[in-house]
Amino acid sequence: MLADHAQAMHRVCFGAEPSDADLELLGSRERWLVYRDLVRNRLNHVIRVALARTKHAIGEDAFARVVDEWFSIGSPKTRYLRHVPGELTEFAIPIWQRTEAPWVADLAGYEITAWDVRHGPPNPTPTHEFAFDRKPVLATAVKVLHLAYPVQNKPTSDAGYAPEPTILCLYRDKNHKPIPRKLNPLAADLLDTWRTTDQTVAESVQQVAAAHNTQIGPDFIEKLSTLIADFIQRGIILGGHSPTL
Amino acid sequence: MTRDVAGIGLGLRHDLATELLERHPKSVAWVEIHPENYIDRGGRYQEMLELAREDWPVVTHGLSTCLGSVEPFDASYLKELGAFLKDLEIPWHSEHLCLGGVDDRFFHDLLPLPFTDEAAQIASKRLTEVRDAIGIPLALENVSYYAPQGPDGLAEADFVVEVLERADAKLLLDVNNIYVNGRNFDFDPKAYIDRIPAERVVQIHVAGHFVRDDGVRIDTHGEPVPNEVYELLDYALRKVGPVPVLLERDNNVPPLDELLSEVDELWKIYRNATWADDAG
Repeated sequence: MLADHAQAMHRVCFGAEPSDADLELLGSRERWLVYRDLVRNRLNHVIRVALARTKHAIGEDAFARVVDEWFSIGSPKTRYLRHVPGELTEFAIPIWQRTEAPWVADLAGYEITAWDVRHGPPNPTPTHEFAFDRKPVLATAVKVLHLAYPVQNKPTSDAGYAPEPTILCLYRDKNHKPIPRKLNPLAADLLDTWRTTDQTVAESVQQVAAAHNTQIGPDFIEKLSTLIADFIQRGIILGGHSPTL
Repeated sequence: MTRDVAGIGLGLRHDLATELLERHPKSVAWVEIHPENYIDRGGRYQEMLELAREDWPVVTHGLSTCLGSVEPFDASYLKELGAFLKDLEIPWHSEHLCLGGVDDRFFHDLLPLPFTDEAAQIASKRLTEVRDAIGIPLALENVSYYAPQGPDGLAEADFVVEVLERADAKLLLDVNNIYVNGRNFDFDPKAYIDRIPAERVVQIHVAGHFVRDDGVRIDTHGEPVPNEVYELLDYALRKVGPVPVLLERDNNVPPLDELLSEVDELWKIYRNATWADDAG
């Protein structure tokens, strides 16, 4: 039966050790081990490209053990090869939080966020210019990341990173590269509000400023204007939509 | 409305796209893309496709529809694929006659189906389902395989023809895959091509392959096209006529000029075999 055949192929390709019974069912031990290598090599390649710094930090053997464990209990649910590293990371980060240096999980999170931003969906097309009485239209490939360690920088010593709470906005620049930009907590909340709600800019600014106990005075307005101008210049803010859209 | 696709095309791959799109060589008549690399993806891939479409007709070649899988299709993906393909004005879409996943898990490789009546029935039914869902003609591609088949199945060419006829489908004939399989399993590639109904062939793939130390040939798309594959292309074109031919190169991508030399060689074969005088 084709279904039995397919299940055996899956176990041979992703199982910790292919069983003799499966290899016998499929017909050729040597040649099906070729398939096992081909399947795993392709996935390993894209995972290692996406998480190059994490792999370097952990070491090849420890990294490979986690990837092999993921293969054996799950393997990719996505049809998109570019999403495979993200699926692996969902599985691996909780393990690395227990087994590796405390900053490794942040590094893996940073790398996979940068990967997602690089390969994220196309941008929407705004219907209007940016304005305070409109909903802001943001680039699709924008993510806010809260880190305990500044892993966007090179490590300060062989031991890795000293703790330093950091909020980053990662966005895709005009050359399609993921770029980190530091944010303060209020700016991060503002950006998150713009990404996740239908509020106008004016409404969201009032709400976020209130949540941070910040008065909206001339100094605040000046800093907000600078922030918005910077976001527009970087392509993080694309324009606006009418509130009715 | 669709755009005409004829002559020699090249796979639009990230590693060669910058030079290809800047130089726009006249010998490349069209390009092929894998939809999975472009659907819902912005950035460089979106830009590559937009630039390519300004200059060339585009043909699509799927990697993940998995004609041989036993689980129901992901209807949302087929809808997304159909919408993506509709925008591209393509004359047909193609998918591999293989097993790409099981239990909603993907191999990200093209695993062989057993050449059985059951597999032919499943694949032809699924091919019809995909064709109906995307609303565009769908061709299947014969794949390479490395593990021997069981004793109770069909010959590979008979299996492919069985699926084609059951689904009344078109064929993307991969001559490198036929050559690789012929060498790995000791059959005559020309006899395989003789078995294929010529009128079903809408496109041909050509590529190089890797020969392991033990002699097993692996369809890597990472080596230059060997002379034996060029010869098989000539043989196939004389049978099926001037269908478009794609040079596939996905790994070990060399400088563009090396690929264009192969494209020139393909044009020579194409013109000699078909008497075609398309631009190129």
